[in-house]
Amino acid sequence: MRDFQAIATIVDDAARFAKAIPQLSLSGHDLDLDEAYRVQAASLARRYQRGETPSGVKMGFTSRAKQIQMGLSDMIWGRLTDAMRVEDGGEIELADYVHPRAEPEIAFLLKKPLSGKVTLVEAMNCVEAIAPAIEIIDSRYEGFKFNLPDVVADNTSSSSYVTGSWFSPATDISNLGMSLEINGRPVQVGSSAAILNHPARALAAASRLLAEQNLELEAGWILMAGGATAAQALMPGDHVRLQMQELGMVGFSVAAAAKGEK
Amino acid sequence: MTNLSVEQIEQVAGTLRRAGGSGVACAPFQPDLPGATLEDAYAVQEVNTLASLASGRRLAGRKIGLTSRSVQHQMGVHQPDFGMLFADMAFCDGEAIPADRLMQPRIEGEIAFVLGKPLDRESLTLTDVIGAIDYALPAIEIVDSRIADWKIGIFDTIADNASSGLYVLGTRPARLSDFDPTLCGMVIENRGEPVSTGAGIACLGNPLNATLWLARKMAKVGRPLREGDTVLSGALGPMVPARPGEIYEARINGLGSVRAIMDA
Repeated sequence: MRDFQAIATIVDDAARFAKAIPQLSLSGHDLDLDEAYRVQAASLARRYQRGETPSGVKMGFTSRAKQIQMGLSDMIWGRLTDAMRVEDGGEIELADYVHPRAEPEIAFLLKKPLSGKVTLVEAMNCVEAIAPAIEIIDSRYEGFKFNLPDVVADNTSSSSYVTGSWFSPATDISNLGMSLEINGRPVQVGSSAAILNHPARALAAASRLLAEQNLELEAGWILMAGGATAAQALMPGDHVRLQMQELGMVGFSVAAAAKGEK
Repeated sequence: MTNLSVEQIEQVAGTLRRAGGSGVACAPFQPDLPGATLEDAYAVQEVNTLASLASGRRLAGRKIGLTSRSVQHQMGVHQPDFGMLFADMAFCDGEAIPADRLMQPRIEGEIAFVLGKPLDRESLTLTDVIGAIDYALPAIEIVDSRIADWKIGIFDTIADNASSGLYVLGTRPARLSDFDPTLCGMVIENRGEPVSTGAGIACLGNPLNATLWLARKMAKVGRPLREGDTVLSGALGPMVPARPGEIYEARINGLGSVRAIMDA
């Protein structure tokens, strides 16, 4: 029997204190996928004990290219908490992260719970609003290198997220152009179509995958649909902005210099 | 500034013509012509343009290439390039494209602008371009290279008509005011998979910027854009291989879709 609590402490401390750790798979903790999700749950339980509350779910590997690259046939998911929220226009400190990267995404805000295998219509019927969003991912593993159970145990590199203004779910989000800009210069350009050909599919997939563990998406939660382009590494002083067709923009800044060790 | 002799230029042009005619790709030229300039490359292209026109091909427009900063960087240049579009290179939405017309095809999702007025002055501005555009269409450019394995340098691709192949246009004309040329999303789909995604901003910040560059350039080199010309304004996302027997559909948000059917 594995000591999931002990492994959860390793990944939770790494995230909490922003200290890189060796991959679990290379340090005697060769987990399978189910075990990795148990570590993730135990790691998040530690956050909840410290007062954080669940705020949603994020999807990973929502592009086929990334799935093939990772030798996967399905998506993975991680948990979001209220402490991961960054205000639109807010500022982050690099000292709070190991090696953060920004990804352009679309966020769904749920007005009703969603569970089990659902159609896209059923999924969208539970959506209150949609927003342009930036996810700040941050693998706690040295060199941003991991295998599949490693990344799942590390809460799929979840770190922070920023959402912009909320729009009607009637907006057609199947092919929205997006430009992720650093200090005004486009560095990643893409379309929401890169997310499973339609980001709503990520919402239905989240519902299905959570049900496999007897969980559901709750009303008031946010679902981050997955990256639409490659992730962009962040540097001190960067202003990061995502412009999205129809949905306006969302952004944050990286503090110019560390204001002290965490 | 040209560094190559007329004989060298004619020789490169002839080699490219024969490669295109036989379907057997040739070796890149750039490694053996270290002093060759961009002007030399365009001189080669012009030799073959004149040969095409002399053989009765009709000039239908231009294509703009190297419109992405990362591709420019890869090629070691800070500007786009251009090539000629002839009428026999145009295919219809959903029309089967014979494999023997192509050597090593790759595809790109683009916006095509069709001009309602000529752009024949040198001191053009963006408003001239906007005023001259009659309508826009979604387009798939099927690029191709007469150079073996696409091992191209900047000289090779310009000399080779900017790696032009064929092109497919959509059929529902849109006015410029009907869509967002900067943030329109673009996806090329093959068997349900998004194989290339991007947006208008990837094309020099906006496909109209690329078109202005082209219009100025064409006026300068004495082959100005004319009424009715089609401008393939540059890729909105990464170029991907076009496999025989496959169907590729490009969708540009606000402009509609267009399909390229690659014959087996």
